[in-house]
Amino acid sequence: MKGKIFLRRLATACAGAGIASAAVAPAFAEEMKVGFAIAQSGWMEAYDKGATQAALLAIEEINAKGGLLGQTLKPVIEDTRTDLARAAQAGQTLLADGVGVMIVSCDYDMGSPVALAAESAGIISIFLCAADIKAGVQGIGPHSYSASSVANAEGATMAEWSYTKRKARTGYVLVDTTIQYDRSLCAGFDWMFPQFDGAKVVGEDTFKNGDTSIASQITRIKALPAQPDVIMLCSYIPGAASVARQLRAAGITSPILNGTAMDGDYWLDSAPGLKDFVGLAKGSFRGDDPRPDVNAFAERYKAKYGALPVNQSVFDGYVAIQLWAKAVEKAGSFDSEAVVKVLDSFKDEPSLLGPRTFTPDVHIQTQIPFLVTDIVDGKSKVIDQFTISKNIPLDVLLAK
Amino acid sequence: MMLNLAQNLIDALSLGSIYALTALGIGMIFSVMRLVNFAQGNYIAFCAFALLVPAGEGISRPFIGLLPGWALVPVVIALGMLLAMASEILLFRHLRGAQPATMMIASFGLGSALQNLLLMLFGSRPIAINLWPALTQPVMIGSLMVPRLQLVILAVTALALVALTLFLRRTRFGTAMRASSENFLMARMLGVPADRVILVAFGISGALAATASLLTLPQTGIADIRMGDGILLVAFVATVVGGLGSLTGAVLSAYLIGLVSVFLQIALPLAARPYRDAFVYAAVIAVLMLKPDGLFSADRRSQRI
Repeated sequence: MKGKIFLRRLATACAGAGIASAAVAPAFAEEMKVGFAIAQSGWMEAYDKGATQAALLAIEEINAKGGLLGQTLKPVIEDTRTDLARAAQAGQTLLADGVGVMIVSCDYDMGSPVALAAESAGIISIFLCAADIKAGVQGIGPHSYSASSVANAEGATMAEWSYTKRKARTGYVLVDTTIQYDRSLCAGFDWMFPQFDGAKVVGEDTFKNGDTSIASQITRIKALPAQPDVIMLCSYIPGAASVARQLRAAGITSPILNGTAMDGDYWLDSAPGLKDFVGLAKGSFRGDDPRPDVNAFAERYKAKYGALPVNQSVFDGYVAIQLWAKAVEKAGSFDSEAVVKVLDSFKDEPSLLGPRTFTPDVHIQTQIPFLVTDIVDGKSKVIDQFTISKNIPLDVLLAK
Repeated sequence: MMLNLAQNLIDALSLGSIYALTALGIGMIFSVMRLVNFAQGNYIAFCAFALLVPAGEGISRPFIGLLPGWALVPVVIALGMLLAMASEILLFRHLRGAQPATMMIASFGLGSALQNLLLMLFGSRPIAINLWPALTQPVMIGSLMVPRLQLVILAVTALALVALTLFLRRTRFGTAMRASSENFLMARMLGVPADRVILVAFGISGALAATASLLTLPQTGIADIRMGDGILLVAFVATVVGGLGSLTGAVLSAYLIGLVSVFLQIALPLAARPYRDAFVYAAVIAVLMLKPDGLFSADRRSQRI
């Protein structure tokens, strides 16, 4: 940090002395650079784009109110092209540019090369929406955070909600083993559901997202003595939509539970007439969020980008900047160590999406309120709000 | 239990059918020009997206997809054929005589270009499309409940196999094609029009990709730019296991892989099930170690490849 300030002073001095070329003329002193090493192309773009836009909106709003500690926040974006090698390069470029904080890709694997580089430079990194406990102290180091919550929390929420609100006693677990998120999602359900009186996981099966058919998995469910009360489906588009279609086509009517990955109704053409498909959301951008602040945010987002957000990661992107800015303000400094100290002390700190908590060990949310959604007349609707009654312990999150 | 077994068998056969159609597409081209066309999987995705209008951000707006089945099927098949034939005329024709490895890399390039074209036009989000929902409804055969689609897949594949066999055995062009696959140079010297034979092979492989696409879509209800990748991998492995150059071998191996895959899904304990595909490919490696030329190849192949 000191070295950087020295370099800046040197650059200012050079500019003043007329040594530097005309091209080097930005105002150094009043600006804090916020680095974004995110995918603007490749398959990861679909996840990073909205979250980044929301983070940029948060930055714009902070600047409109006079900036942070008197400094204007300046976003600097480098495209990782959904490529690990390119991501590492993007991170180095941003670090060389002197960013004060590094925002990285949603996905743990894709964001980690950048986060690790930031960590060794002593710069705070924030994963836009990684849902893995590793996106933090355990995988990167003490300066790394995720703006999101662990996938396990979503599975646990579905377990407790379906037990208490839908009186589910038998659950079937269908897990897509393509990505870790879905394994953790179902692990959360597996951990929570059997803890309740009379509740039992009656069967489990796996599939891969790209599987052309899940016919043999369906045959296994149909061979059960009775249809399960709920099916916990841990998967994402396109696989999840395809599974929903195939389950219903096979006459299996058990309510299907899912995490936040399927929020929205753009995929419903895959399974027309779908009912009892219960999912989770951190916030709703369809105007039916019980919290006015969230609805107002969705409107501001729409006003800026011309369309409503399309996925849940958008909310996380906004919260990423919100929490970091709060910590900087409280610390009264951009210094990473000082900001980390404040972030780690956050207990039920208010954010757009409700209370957020960090500890020196856990840099991701493990127990937060979710909206529960269901498909009603071909549209996704918020039907409930729910928070799990117990926090998921760290050793459960770290168990493989 | 018996009932389950019958159901599992149908599951395996319908899965194997999609693999077989794709393996046949790869095998066709390999047998006439020693090219493993890795763009075959992208043809499948292309044909699926051909049903839609680019609307961006995962919005589904069917176009050709709105046509009734009798019109939709020929249009999509024609598009698949055109795409495959265009890739021969615009790309592979200029690589005639190049090393097989060069052509293979070119096919990777073509596949990547096609995928990025779709990405540009349709965005990276998969797009939902409800094609022929009536097909997903089950019918009762005795006390067995079978999705109509599985029966259609079996029937269409059988039909395609029979038609292709007749074409190869009974028509002049088929004979020319078989001659080319036996010994391309000799066939050419004897007056077989090489470029035309190859073009027809591409046309057929394009039609097969379109068929695979149209049989996959009603099942999954969603078009994804990577939807052909998994199928392609299995189909390619099937052509190798079957013995490169043997069409019968490719088809039989594709069904075999479908069977093994479904059997493993049933038989493996839960903890091992995520590694199903690893077991499938371990079996493939074992087969290739025992029979390096593939299960169904004649001995002469080994001298030529």
